[in-house]
Amino acid sequence: MFDRVEAFYRPGTVREALRLLQNGKNRARVVAGGTDLVVEADRSIRFLIDITHAGLSYIRRRGKACVIGATTTMATLENSPAIRALAGGILARAAATCGSVQIRNMATLGGNLANGSPAADTATPLLALDAEVVLADARGRRKIPLTAFYSGLRKTAPGKALLIEVVIPALPRGGRWSFQKLGRTESDISLVNAAAGLQLDSKGRAKWARIALGAVAPTPIRAVNAEKLLVGRKVDESTLAEVCDQVAREVQPITDVRASAEYRREMCRVLVRRALEECAAGTGCSL
Amino acid sequence: MSSGRTVVGHNVRKVEGVKLVTGGPAFTDDIQLPGLLYGKILPSPYAHARIKRIDTRKAKALPGVHAVLTYKNVPRVPHTTAGQAWPEPSPYDTYLLDSKVRFVGDRVAAVAAESRAIAEKALRLIEVEYDVLPAVLDMEQAMAPGAAVIHDEPDSKGIYDASRNIAGYILRGIGDVDQGFRDSDRIFEREYRTQRQQHCPLEPHITISWLDGDGRLVIRTSTQVPYHSRRQVAMILQIPVSRIHVIKPRMGGGFGGKQEMLLEDICGALALAARRPVKIEYTREEEFYMARTRHPQILRMKMGVKRDGTILASQLTVVATTGAYGSHSTTVQGNTGSKVLPLYRAEHMRFECHVVYTNTPVAGAFRGYGCPQGFFAQETLVDEIANDLGIDPVEFHRQNVIRLGDTDRLSAQLGEGKEGLPRIVRSCGLPECLDRAAAAIGWTGKRQALPAAGHLKRGVGMACTMQGSGIAGIDWASAFLKMNEDGSFFLQTGAADVGGGADTVLSQIAAETLGVSLDKIVITSGDTDTTPFDVGAYASSTTIISGGAVKKAAEKVREQVLRMAAKMLDTPVENLTCGDNRVSAVGKSATMTEIALHSMYKEKTQIMDGASHFNTDSPPPFCATFAEVEVDTETGKVRVLHMATAVDPGTAINPAQAEGQVEGAVAQGLGYALTEELVLDGAGRPLNPNFLDYKIFGAKDMPKLTTILVETDEPLGPYGAKSISEVPINGPAPAIANAIFHAIGVRFRKLPIRPEDVLRALREKETVADDQCV
Repeated sequence: MFDRVEAFYRPGTVREALRLLQNGKNRARVVAGGTDLVVEADRSIRFLIDITHAGLSYIRRRGKACVIGATTTMATLENSPAIRALAGGILARAAATCGSVQIRNMATLGGNLANGSPAADTATPLLALDAEVVLADARGRRKIPLTAFYSGLRKTAPGKALLIEVVIPALPRGGRWSFQKLGRTESDISLVNAAAGLQLDSKGRAKWARIALGAVAPTPIRAVNAEKLLVGRKVDESTLAEVCDQVAREVQPITDVRASAEYRREMCRVLVRRALEECAAGTGCSL
Repeated sequence: MSSGRTVVGHNVRKVEGVKLVTGGPAFTDDIQLPGLLYGKILPSPYAHARIKRIDTRKAKALPGVHAVLTYKNVPRVPHTTAGQAWPEPSPYDTYLLDSKVRFVGDRVAAVAAESRAIAEKALRLIEVEYDVLPAVLDMEQAMAPGAAVIHDEPDSKGIYDASRNIAGYILRGIGDVDQGFRDSDRIFEREYRTQRQQHCPLEPHITISWLDGDGRLVIRTSTQVPYHSRRQVAMILQIPVSRIHVIKPRMGGGFGGKQEMLLEDICGALALAARRPVKIEYTREEEFYMARTRHPQILRMKMGVKRDGTILASQLTVVATTGAYGSHSTTVQGNTGSKVLPLYRAEHMRFECHVVYTNTPVAGAFRGYGCPQGFFAQETLVDEIANDLGIDPVEFHRQNVIRLGDTDRLSAQLGEGKEGLPRIVRSCGLPECLDRAAAAIGWTGKRQALPAAGHLKRGVGMACTMQGSGIAGIDWASAFLKMNEDGSFFLQTGAADVGGGADTVLSQIAAETLGVSLDKIVITSGDTDTTPFDVGAYASSTTIISGGAVKKAAEKVREQVLRMAAKMLDTPVENLTCGDNRVSAVGKSATMTEIALHSMYKEKTQIMDGASHFNTDSPPPFCATFAEVEVDTETGKVRVLHMATAVDPGTAINPAQAEGQVEGAVAQGLGYALTEELVLDGAGRPLNPNFLDYKIFGAKDMPKLTTILVETDEPLGPYGAKSISEVPINGPAPAIANAIFHAIGVRFRKLPIRPEDVLRALREKETVADDQCV
């Protein structure tokens, strides 16, 4: 599987990890939980750089933002009181649907994002939460929106940079949140997943709305036009139908062995409707 | 049934349990051999091609490579890989290696090298030029004029009609179905389709082979059929049976996929060529498409009934594909008729089947052996009939199912590759199975419940099924017992415990018969050098056939023990009884240890004996499967809430193990119903040979299970036992399909029932309803 790997490094700092990444040229790969990398078994890899000891496993409050280190595991997110309390716990819920217990004990948040899969379960709630990612390279650190991190199918922005943390900025107060996932079995990659956030005013109109979807486009996406359509409108049957129709127009699902594009598109409507209904009914997770 | 019995009928611990749960060396791979080489097979990238040129020079020259085999340097012996009794009823259409490849994954070449990496590199260095041929992927096209001929080689034998890609053809019947249909008030006819399912054993196929100090070929392998494998490898490699030693260690499941001589021949050939030990272990991906699958079928089922619900005639017409080779082709499909139709007492039955070759992965034996397909069709149709006639399906079954004392005459027509023997029902717990499983699911209340508002709709459905217990007149086994100084016994049996607990059950039968505690039995099984013959673990035969042999051998040994004790105690044999690790008469007794010491050192006699056993009938175990489902009408997802399965296995020798067999079968049956399918693309390549996209039911997916054992006393079985491992896999698919119909009013006749199909069908139903309103 990794018979061509010449060296396995376990740097103790980000700086050391970056130096190794630089030296490894294109033949070095960063490994965290390894749950994607091991399956991928890329034979061009010569050097593996394990960043799980580089001090990136943490969940912290920084001002009003919540900051999560890249090597924080799915199991940690799933069980963390802070993450379970954040936006009603949609990130914790998404993390809890990733693979099996064994996978979640290994798999990391940074890995889930950096792998670039459009079906990454944590990316969808993070998009809905307007999350940003912090990248580090030889020149220093920069913070970019998660939407800018994804540049195409299985393509992410970093280049030689290392994803070191995820920042969830202060959330608008009074919102309600929901995460929905559809798989073939209980432990499955998403056929479709959706996250939504919504706040209603006293007249039942949407003050703001966030709608994100996974596994239905080359990258996880925000359905921005559907969001715009919703804001200022009374959240009733006809509005929801319109919004869901707009969602169906904004996604670009594919047909594969898991499901057809038509089915995925249809499920986008169903999942977004369910998410918004959950938020609107107040049964969604409140902040 | 266990009244008065001290070992049989009790939930004793698995005899090898401690070894397994403590992770001790147990499985094929758990040995270290000096100089072990890694064997690897080069799979065909094409569904159908001739090898124009193959050059192995670069591979052979690679340092660390010790053997490279192609069709050019191995014997060409037509054979079948089906692990069946000699002469196998499957066509001899397979070769160790051939100049033609017939499916994506077929063997092109094999190498043995010092590491897996070198072996993989060697495969890449083999230059192959293919003449790619048109492929036949669709079973409905296989017999069409002009279809490519898959087996055009002259030396294969036993193919029904190679020029039309027909591996086997079956036509059997009783009575006169045409008359039966004429006499019927109503006739129902539907078509059903079933998919390619894979066994997914936790332990993939693995074989390690080497030459022992005497130059004999040792084959340590994960197999259900050690003896058949030995005979077949001897024939293929052209060495005497006596020069081969097959060892079957503990196994991580077989489910029929290992009733197959699959790696033993090529691994043995590599060991002989390299003169070094060689291991071949399939990766999970290889297991999916280079091992075996369940036969996909298209079934046309027709039934004629009287208005009162009496079934008069049933007719099943099947096209099945065996893939590229005919392993188990006619026997699996024969079962689709012979074990399915006779569930009902119809006087007129007809079964016709074409088994065709296609350029697809090879089908073979798989738990249920043709019955899951047949029962899906029959039990779904029967539900439709009952609903149509306004009869409760449970009542409809009670009215029509086979009963105690009935003779199943169709089985006499459909034996294992030849005429079979009639089946007489000598034990039958089916009525009680129906009652108890119906009560467990809450049948009456739930059938009458009004449909719920909202998008979640619930329903209940049921099915009845049966199977066999060993192949009548063919399956046989033998066992040998000898007594040790401490009053313990060595039990040697050729039976192949695949993980289901056969070693424990056989030890229980020996202990019960000898009147000793279970710890006094030390079992050795599945080793062709040290244990007597057994056909192996298949056809739900081990408990009844191997168990029958163990019981006979134990009875003979008990006679010897009693005679020895009679001498010691100076009491006539008829006044003596075995029990509690001793032989007792009124007022006196001798322990087994005393008897053993006396026999060995005073009488200079080893107490030992063996016996062979077979049956001329295959007593059917019966099963009633009830399912409750919840259908999400917005996503089409079907959630199974509860499976209640009541099985009549005769006597359950070990009830806990028997329940485990039921639960495992239900889990595989759930996957068959809802999620499992190996999908091929337009070129015959597998699209989902992995657990990411081939979805089996995991622990989190399992519904509530209620498992009920309805014990009966089967006269032909040891201590009244029949079988249990296969029959519960047949019910989940039709029971779930029927429950879905109850929930949403839509019939599904194709497996697996995927959310997408459910949603589409719901939309079509709405459209039809809307049209009707207009």
